[in-house]
Amino acid sequence: MYLQRAMTRSIKTDYIVELVQMVSGLLLVLFLWTHMVFVASIIIGASSFGALAAFMDKYELLPIAVVAVIFMFAAHIGAIARHLPARWAEQKVAWRHAKMIRHYDTWSWLFQIVTGLAILLMALIHIAVVSYGGISVVFSKGRIDNPAFLVFYLILLLFSEYHASVGLYRIFVKWGFVSRRRLEFVLGVVSVLLVVIGCVSLGMFLALKLVGGVA
Amino acid sequence: MSPRQLTFHIFRYDPDRPEVKPHTQTFKIEEEMGMTLFVALNKIRDEIDPTLKFDFVCRASICGSCGMLINGKASLACKTLTKTLPSDITLFPLPAFKLLGDLSVDTGTWFRDMSMRTESWIHTDVEFDETAQEEKMDDDLALEIYEAERCIECGCCVGVCVTANIRQNFIGATGINRVSRFMLDPRDKRDEQEYFEVVGNDDGIFGCVGLMACEDTCPVGVPLRGQLAYVRRKMTVAGWHRK
Amino acid sequence: MYQSFSSDVLVVGAGLAGERAAVSAAQAGQNVIILSLIPPRRSHSSAAQGGMQASLGNSAMGKGDSPDVHMYDTVKGSDWGCEQDVARMFVNTAPIAVREMSAWGVPWSRVRNEKRMYEGTEIVEDPEKVGLITARNFGGTAKWRTCYTSDGAGHTLLYAMDSVVIKLGITVHDRMEAIELIHDGTRCYGVVARSLRDGSIYVYTAKTTVIATGGFGRLYAASTNAVINDGAGIAMAFNSGVVPLGNMEAIQFHPTGMVPSWILITEGARGEGGHLLDKDGYRFMPDYEPKYMELASRDVVSRRIMQHIRAGHGVDSPYGPHVWLDIRHLGEHRINTYLREISTIARTFAGIDPVKEPIPVRPTQHYTMGGIRTNKDGKVYGLDNLFALGEAACWDLHGFNRLGGNSLAETVVAGRIVGEKIAEFTKHATLEVNSALIEEHVRNVEGRIDQIRSRGKNGENWVEIRKEMQMTLELNVGIFRTAEHLQEAVDKLGNLYERSLNVGLMGDGGQGADPELVNALRLPGMVRMAITIAKGALERKESRGSHFREDYPQRDDQNWLKRTLAYWPEGAKEPDLKYEPVTITEIPPGDRGYGESNVKK
Repeated sequence: MYLQRAMTRSIKTDYIVELVQMVSGLLLVLFLWTHMVFVASIIIGASSFGALAAFMDKYELLPIAVVAVIFMFAAHIGAIARHLPARWAEQKVAWRHAKMIRHYDTWSWLFQIVTGLAILLMALIHIAVVSYGGISVVFSKGRIDNPAFLVFYLILLLFSEYHASVGLYRIFVKWGFVSRRRLEFVLGVVSVLLVVIGCVSLGMFLALKLVGGVA
Repeated sequence: MSPRQLTFHIFRYDPDRPEVKPHTQTFKIEEEMGMTLFVALNKIRDEIDPTLKFDFVCRASICGSCGMLINGKASLACKTLTKTLPSDITLFPLPAFKLLGDLSVDTGTWFRDMSMRTESWIHTDVEFDETAQEEKMDDDLALEIYEAERCIECGCCVGVCVTANIRQNFIGATGINRVSRFMLDPRDKRDEQEYFEVVGNDDGIFGCVGLMACEDTCPVGVPLRGQLAYVRRKMTVAGWHRK
Repeated sequence: MYQSFSSDVLVVGAGLAGERAAVSAAQAGQNVIILSLIPPRRSHSSAAQGGMQASLGNSAMGKGDSPDVHMYDTVKGSDWGCEQDVARMFVNTAPIAVREMSAWGVPWSRVRNEKRMYEGTEIVEDPEKVGLITARNFGGTAKWRTCYTSDGAGHTLLYAMDSVVIKLGITVHDRMEAIELIHDGTRCYGVVARSLRDGSIYVYTAKTTVIATGGFGRLYAASTNAVINDGAGIAMAFNSGVVPLGNMEAIQFHPTGMVPSWILITEGARGEGGHLLDKDGYRFMPDYEPKYMELASRDVVSRRIMQHIRAGHGVDSPYGPHVWLDIRHLGEHRINTYLREISTIARTFAGIDPVKEPIPVRPTQHYTMGGIRTNKDGKVYGLDNLFALGEAACWDLHGFNRLGGNSLAETVVAGRIVGEKIAEFTKHATLEVNSALIEEHVRNVEGRIDQIRSRGKNGENWVEIRKEMQMTLELNVGIFRTAEHLQEAVDKLGNLYERSLNVGLMGDGGQGADPELVNALRLPGMVRMAITIAKGALERKESRGSHFREDYPQRDDQNWLKRTLAYWPEGAKEPDLKYEPVTITEIPPGDRGYGESNVKK
């Protein structure tokens, strides 16, 4: 034990941070999945999407969600940073190590870091855009018609689904109970389903015909 | 059928001679029936290069001396049959441990340190009484303790663990498994809070990021994921109770 | 240039015996340093899968067991070659040692509350005993007496023992090889050692020095032993010229070494009910040994197997003829729980699943009853302040044949008994060592190293000499021995010894921790021991236990109820053989009840 450590550190710190990491991760997954289901309302029809948007407007759910998500992002990143290879030397060790031992889960963890960083950046852009423009069919349609934005959302969709499912897998693996093979299967199916739903939603927006500026 | 020609690419480095940079050296030998890497490496040392450093003791996968990276996969060299490998075989020492030279690493110091930090001995105030009968124990419990105690300290799980490679103080799956062995044992009188002090932190169970390279690697098949999860659950409860 | 350390007690060897002795001394408040070639938990003690004998009598099949029965089995097993006062102490202490190890954390297998079939009879355990330490059947024992932890008795004992060493904070210097005793011809002051990490020289001085470096099975070409078991510690004592080695010709061959890696298949396999089959799948042991069958003593079963193979019933293989060990009838559950190590070994090293197929086995060198001769307190003959124990010592618990389960027991029991003697002795000992004496021994070691280095590629090749030595013992000093072959061995080994004194290096100079230098340095001591084995066997004109002379097939108590003591005077080319009587306190020589019943009337 070193002096500074003895004086500043509560022995429970690591434990609490670990819980924060897990809970924030779970909430983010929950948010992501809810978000995807909401977006998917476009599949039923533009009017359902519009109704949901109006509902959110009415109760001011958008700003609440934005604040909550930013908060959870901060908590999640803050908690997880302690595990990451932070220094350049550690990065080099981690990547070389993954290459050397050729272990699937170890690679997936490095992808977690990459996708995590990408999601952070892209989600912030997305949140800024949505906060600025609000939620509406027209505004969404306008973005999806722009090829750059379409690619942007496709990548965000894939990355966040991947990150969420691997993260969930990790939590279950760490706590035991379910066999790894079954976990891989269930989470794989769920993720593919959600990616499909996401893609179909994007497709619906693309296919949508606007008449006189409204759906 | 003529025997295969095996080509070994072996990592060479002598810390006492830093002027010679780490490199891989190539050796060619003929494969023999039932050849293990124990036989192959000794053949190389006896017949080609007597200076090659590696560690074997029991050569029967009991003592845990010969963990190394065999074509990237950590395992015991003594129990690896060459016929299970392609004819090009790359051998590297286990990462995460101090390199003593070529394929030899200092697992002994690492494990003694881990044992001290996890206080891997029976903690009890009961004095041993020569005249008394032993304490009774259910055989199933004895088997359960033995399941965790089967770890042979080869260090493969540590070598493949990303966390152990970038965080020097992490006790690895073997350390956490060790703690689980004592948690199971009613002869050890430590309570959950005492265990929490040992392992309820980022050097212990909360440092594990769950990649399970350890479980995928363990050459003796200790069910590490189960042991890690057991300690995690126990320590979560202990953390909850902690003032 | 050397580093030096001083302590009350210096233990060379960190297996079970050495660590147990160290624990005793440390508990008495003494400062202890242990030297080891390897990290302690890698010691060969860990490879003992079967178990340790102690007459707890908890299991139904061990009911009525007592130290007296254990004593009788041990003496009979030794073919009356053991020290009976030592055996008595041993059998009385073994149950205490088992329980002590339990208190230190060994998860011994316990008596289960369930019925079990064994060789056609049903075993019903006493409900009172459920949860107490159980035992399995081993060769040459009247009762089930071998306490075990599934398939890892040695492993769990060693880990528990080492945990106590760590708890007590005992210093261990691993990768450190003791090379030479520091002595003045009457007293030992410590050792000169060499680090296997960087080749540098260390001096360890101590009030009491203890040798617990294990056996020397690796002098043979085919041995179940770990590669470190080349007897370097024994050779170190022998090289002093004043310390005698006892009964070096008493070499145990284990009936079931797996072909062709010679990895041991534990006696537990036969103890659990395994059978030996010949090439026709016929179970032949009942024909030779109607009472004990596969579980007669090891020397007897090994001879019977070779006898059966000689009669043409062996299975041919590229590695010579062998027989089968069959455990299929025990069932998958029992094999994969209590004999798991065997299935792992058979699967990994021979590609055989013992649940479905029999395992190819042949008698293989396994244990060395001989070693550094000590008195019953573990004090070495010839040098004061020097102790030895475990397989390295000839405390003489085993005589001419050791019972399965008695070696693991010896390590912890002798560790306890001798450890207390060491602590007691050290309490009254002082350390005053002449620095000139230390310098002399350091120079001696450095001189040996420099000579080998300077010969370089012009010297003899150690790999060749070692291989020839191993083959000579394998072919000429094996299970069946004759004067002709033994003489041949003595001559050949004498020649090899001359060559070994001129050993060089084939590599690039033996700097630092060069593994080649380590082997070259050990070589002359190994050949000395090999000659001593052959010479002792040549001179002993009788058959006793594992020492079987085809030209003298009978035990001869009239002339040979005595122990060989071999000395190697400085500059000698052969050992000087002397003899001492065997201590008989309780059980006069008689018939063993198994084997060839060859007592010369």
